[in-house]
Amino acid sequence: MAGTEPRVQYLAGFSCPLGGLAAGKPRVLCHEAEVFLSTGSEFVYVYDQEGGLLTAVYQFPDQVWHLQLLALRRALYVLCARRGIYCLSLEPPTRRSASQTNEDNEDGELPSPVITVDPDACVLPDTTLCAFTVHDDILVALVQGPAQWKMQLFERPGPGEDRWPGGLVGEVELSTCTPPAGVPGKLTAPCFLPVLCCVSPPGSGVPSGHPQGCGGFMLEEALFGLLFGADATLLESPVILCGLPDGQLCCVVLKGLVTSRSAPGDPKALVKILHHLEEAIVFIGALKTEPQAGEAVESMPPCEDVYSDCLVALGHHGRTLAVKASWNKSGNLVPELREYLLPGPVLCAACGGGSRMYHSTPSDLCVVDLALEGTPLNSQHPQCGAPGGLPPMLCPASLSICSVLTLSVLSGTPAGGTELLALSAKGCLMTCRLDLNSERPGPTRMTTENAGRKIKELLSGIGNVSERVSFLKKAVNQRNKALTSLNEAMNVSCALLSSREGPPPVSCTTTTAWSRLQLQDVLMATCLLENSSDFSLDQGWTLCIQVLTSSSALDLDSAGSAVTYTIPVDRLSPGSQREVTLPLGPSESGVLDLPVTVNCTLFYSLREVVGGALAPSDPLEDPFLEEQPLDLLPEQEGICLPLSRHTVDMLQCLRFPSLVPPHGHVACPLAPAADLVDTFLETCRAPSSDLAGPAALRAKYLPPSIASIRVSAELLRAALEDSHSGVPLCSATLQWLLAENAALDIVRAQALSSVQGVAPDGTDIHLIIQEVAVTDLCLAGPIQAVEIQVESSSLADMCRIHHAIVGRMQGLQTRAPTSGCIPPTHVPQTMVMEQAARGSSPPDLRVQYLRQIHANHEALLREVQTLRDRLCTEDEAVSCATAQRLLQVYKQLRSPSLVLL
Amino acid sequence: MSRRTLLCASTPRASCLDLWREKNDRLVRRAKELVPQECSLRRQQLTQDILEGLSGLLHSLQGLPAAVSVLPLELTVTCNFIILRASLTQGFTEDQAQDIQQALERVLETQEPLVPRLEQGLRELWDSVLHASSLLPELLPALHLLAGLQAALWLSTDHLGDLALLLQALNGSQNRASEDLLLLLKTWSPPAEESDAPLILQDAWGLRDVLLTASAFHQGLQELITGSLPKALSSLHEAASGLCSRPVLVQVYTALGNCLRKMGNPQRALLYLIAALKEGSALGLPLLEASRLYRQLGNTTAELESLELLFEALSVTHKSEAPHILIEVELLLPQPGPASPLHCGTQSQVKHLLASRCLQMGRAEEAAEHYLDLLALLLDVSEPRFSPPPCPPGPCMPEVFLEAAVALIKAGRAQDALTVCEELLSRTSSLLPKMSWLWEDVRKGTKELPHCPLWVSAAHLLQGQAWVQLRAQKEAVGEFSHCLELLFRAVPEDKDQGGASNCEQGCSSDVALQHLRAAALISRGLEWVASGQDTKALQDFLLSVQVCPGHRDASFHLLQTLRNLNRRDEANAVWWKLKTQTQVPQEEATWSLPLYLETYLSWIHPPDCETLLEEFQTSLTESC
Repeated sequence: MAGTEPRVQYLAGFSCPLGGLAAGKPRVLCHEAEVFLSTGSEFVYVYDQEGGLLTAVYQFPDQVWHLQLLALRRALYVLCARRGIYCLSLEPPTRRSASQTNEDNEDGELPSPVITVDPDACVLPDTTLCAFTVHDDILVALVQGPAQWKMQLFERPGPGEDRWPGGLVGEVELSTCTPPAGVPGKLTAPCFLPVLCCVSPPGSGVPSGHPQGCGGFMLEEALFGLLFGADATLLESPVILCGLPDGQLCCVVLKGLVTSRSAPGDPKALVKILHHLEEAIVFIGALKTEPQAGEAVESMPPCEDVYSDCLVALGHHGRTLAVKASWNKSGNLVPELREYLLPGPVLCAACGGGSRMYHSTPSDLCVVDLALEGTPLNSQHPQCGAPGGLPPMLCPASLSICSVLTLSVLSGTPAGGTELLALSAKGCLMTCRLDLNSERPGPTRMTTENAGRKIKELLSGIGNVSERVSFLKKAVNQRNKALTSLNEAMNVSCALLSSREGPPPVSCTTTTAWSRLQLQDVLMATCLLENSSDFSLDQGWTLCIQVLTSSSALDLDSAGSAVTYTIPVDRLSPGSQREVTLPLGPSESGVLDLPVTVNCTLFYSLREVVGGALAPSDPLEDPFLEEQPLDLLPEQEGICLPLSRHTVDMLQCLRFPSLVPPHGHVACPLAPAADLVDTFLETCRAPSSDLAGPAALRAKYLPPSIASIRVSAELLRAALEDSHSGVPLCSATLQWLLAENAALDIVRAQALSSVQGVAPDGTDIHLIIQEVAVTDLCLAGPIQAVEIQVESSSLADMCRIHHAIVGRMQGLQTRAPTSGCIPPTHVPQTMVMEQAARGSSPPDLRVQYLRQIHANHEALLREVQTLRDRLCTEDEAVSCATAQRLLQVYKQLRSPSLVLL
Repeated sequence: MSRRTLLCASTPRASCLDLWREKNDRLVRRAKELVPQECSLRRQQLTQDILEGLSGLLHSLQGLPAAVSVLPLELTVTCNFIILRASLTQGFTEDQAQDIQQALERVLETQEPLVPRLEQGLRELWDSVLHASSLLPELLPALHLLAGLQAALWLSTDHLGDLALLLQALNGSQNRASEDLLLLLKTWSPPAEESDAPLILQDAWGLRDVLLTASAFHQGLQELITGSLPKALSSLHEAASGLCSRPVLVQVYTALGNCLRKMGNPQRALLYLIAALKEGSALGLPLLEASRLYRQLGNTTAELESLELLFEALSVTHKSEAPHILIEVELLLPQPGPASPLHCGTQSQVKHLLASRCLQMGRAEEAAEHYLDLLALLLDVSEPRFSPPPCPPGPCMPEVFLEAAVALIKAGRAQDALTVCEELLSRTSSLLPKMSWLWEDVRKGTKELPHCPLWVSAAHLLQGQAWVQLRAQKEAVGEFSHCLELLFRAVPEDKDQGGASNCEQGCSSDVALQHLRAAALISRGLEWVASGQDTKALQDFLLSVQVCPGHRDASFHLLQTLRNLNRRDEANAVWWKLKTQTQVPQEEATWSLPLYLETYLSWIHPPDCETLLEEFQTSLTESC
């Protein structure tokens, strides 16, 4: 605290959304006793400071982004997002509504009438306008193009008068490239708006008034000429300074900016880049850091038309540029350019007439003095003209007001102090009086009225401070929580990833079962998440279960679908478990595309845990870029730990109504509804014809599809002996195949070797397992083998079962690596090779015969490939035949000519 | 068959499709009705409303999976949207390219849903779409219109290679050899639309004609700039015979005039320019071209007259006609760069051209008047209209001041010239080095010298000359000395230092500095001569020969003075030097000095060099 005691006076409160107003777009302007204010919503308020009441509220069709007042003409220019610029004449409505509100106010707290702005007040419709400034007789607008900012110069449209006299006078593209954020082609509200302001040369005949309030200022000659060149100085042309969100500070000499179609503006000649701040520019202003030369002071009153001698630009993160003109040792005019770093993020800033700049951050409103040594106005420099220069560093002094979103410096008060008009994030409009005299060091004597005032100030200060404290506390708590959570997550991840052997500390097992839901049988998967580690799974953890259906074999084009279920794991303490049950199908259309793969994954969301802590506890902390804290996070935004992968195949979903005792026969699978063929056969059977039922007809015309797999008995025996010893091989095989089926117990109890089951869609499936002897394969004599035969009236189901059994066989290979084994039919070669390499039994296969089989299969596979290719390209009529042939080939491929050894 | 499937497939949806169609037709009708309305602001708002309507319609259409039955309407709406948007913003942007891309992807969606078509450029997309569309004849009319818009986009962004390939694909021609855009465009025949198709803002045939004219013009200009004139002539003829609005026709005729002038056919060029003027709009271009033509012919009076007319023409702000909601030829033409024959410049640029031509042609009074007008135009704050300075590509503002002063001196208005120089110095006083302060430092022993913009010294030089004219010798010598003082301190420094004017490079070249020094020395020397102080004059002339060795005038003055002083030996040496120099072709003549300096140097040129040389030779032979 530099001893500048603010006296804060709350004037009025404005509605603000939950979490406070967003920075960047609110504006507050003051003209005489009237305050014009926009909070970033679609309203513009007019507040009468003397009367202390709202005199008018204007409603615009969209958010208001910028206000500018032309005091002399009493016109208020309003930039409405995605609409354009509106011009309001202030005279009549203000008076009318003022009288109204006066009357209303006596009744009570009636809000002043909302005046909806007439669309005709729009003087410049343009959906891509992002900034504008009005100066004298011109209007400069900045338009966001697809890749470039474009500056357009218009002759100023005024209210009332014939509104579009000359229209567009000139335009130039700024050389900078700013790819618009968001979805290409869609207009999204930019996070930062560009800043425009108009700089006039001294003595250019600018009508005095409120150059500061108009968003413009005058620079002293030397600095003006230095920055903008001799041409601008000679022409005494105003210059438009433009601060862009990418950090560029550029200028355009207005008198040069007159273009036409036959003489378009050349950006290289018209636009001059002054500096690059490398962060979004949020404010451009001018200060007066040195006293005017003696004669100048005398010639003009101190308050009016002060030529600033220092240009400042503020970046969002606090980087500040100050430029002054100075003379080097050889007497040449050189720019003195300094960059400072002020505390950020900067919400807004303002310059008064003097050497002070005010800037607001979420936690404080600070004032910096750019005059050298901070004592510029009192000490007279020697007349020789040695420049003051810029201070080597800036010391911001706190004013203890937090989260001010927009500021306006009122002209000096009679007492010599400065008065600020500010709008806080909570929607409070306040004035803040800064007393220059209190800068004097040393205690002053307390008088009684002094004390009263002092206490008031202290109280308002305390209010501000407590607000800040609560913000900070919240943030600290959140960060602590996030850290704890992160630590736990670390532990869990380490435990899971390091446990290569032994049971994993966190496991997930999946089982399937049929159950009846709403008149339909549904296959339910139950995932059991078990936490046997020493750490608890807390907030932030999610169990992701991904259910992948394979593409249907019959439909060549459809890709498999995947559904992911995410279940938040809400505190799973050590030793506890959680069960999740989810339906696998069949879907509404009655289709269950098997096999289905169930993947269980634990996911830890950094976004959820850390994002909250990094994100400001208060939306003002970094209001411009909501996504910014998350940008700090790694790309994948979380930790992903795979737990288990489970495949549900046809074998697991078979049901055996014939085996189930009658009382359990609740779920007679879906039913004959599926058997349209039977119905059809039934109806077309003539009553007089032979008595054969549909079954016979079916047998005659629609023989069931059959596939079989032969496995060497030796191999099976070796693989199954430890689990199924003492059981006949055939039934052991069946038990092994149905190991994950609910009917396993019955199969085991009855020692079945063949079984009649029902597929999920209701078709019958017959599994027959028998021992056979294969004679023609081995020279030494017949090989004992087990034949697994699948029979079904539905080709699709038959294929699924076949696929499932082949899958089990593959599993067998990995489980029993010592025994010889054939992978599925299409790679018989490996069998032979493995066999040969190992030289184990049976050694004397008829290689010639095998070769032939192999060659046959190869040929068939090739045919499959070409048929499939043809299927893609042909039209319907031909493809039907192709499909037929394809089916035949598949059938041949499944024919049991090979044995798994 | 397709029609039947359309009806069958969309029976439940027919009402919706009809509704959308209805909406499209309504919006298009509204847009077409806009044309006669006058108030541009209102128009703009209405156009924006229609645009929003179309965009909303497009959104709802694209919200559904792409279906062949709806695609013709969707493509039509996309085309309408692009046309309206392009005519509203008066140009094509990246957005339109994205719109087209999206439309193409939607077409492909109906075809091969499996293949993800990521990272495909527009070219490849078009190939795929045109390949696929052979199966979908009902899409063809809309696709051809979209292709026309794509062609317009590529034409305006100068992607001519892509454009040619697209047109080849559209024409279905296997012959890849034909790269001639015009030929390709002529052979392109978009399929006719069905009578019950949804309404469109501009049909493909109309677009084709516009494209044809625009590309012919574009090509002609390109050839004109690269210098292949006969080709340019035929392309421009092609463009002139095409369909185009009056302003475009004026441009085409002007380009034809330019082309013919360069080909050495001034009379035919003139005919085209007259034809352009008869078109009655945008008179600036043909007048500028006419002035160039007259300049080439050496008809100064006519040249200056056409420039004056041009100035008048530019001062009339003809109301720009509200553009039609169509893709027009203007939209597809690139903006003329400063080097283009169609770059007209602004009023003040023309005024400057006029003034400087007058000065060059020796019409000093006229030049002075024009310069004063120009300064008034540029500096008058009460003038509400903005007028940009002539720079660039013209001289920078200080040079304009100096040229004005030169013209005034030449016209015998020395007092006015003084005022102009004074104005220049006072307006830039804040930018000048602080001399007094510097001198203090010099006394203290610091050696650093200030850098001063060249034009400051030049201003003092001209002031001196003005005083000479006013016969105020003392002031003149004072100004010349001041000028020299500045000039000899001026070490050409880094370019970005000093006056901070972006025109510094042009003025601060070493050659200009040398000549300026020589000019100042000679001027002072001449003043000494006039006052009979030959020794002082001799000093200056000697110095001037030293600072600018290639400058013959300095040597002549030196020779003259030496002869006056009767210093024979030295005079001989100088004479010999001059003699040998005459053998060497003068290199420096090619240097283009600033106009003010050139004019100034012509003043201090000794009037009778040759006679002097001859006289001297005879005197030498006599003495020998």
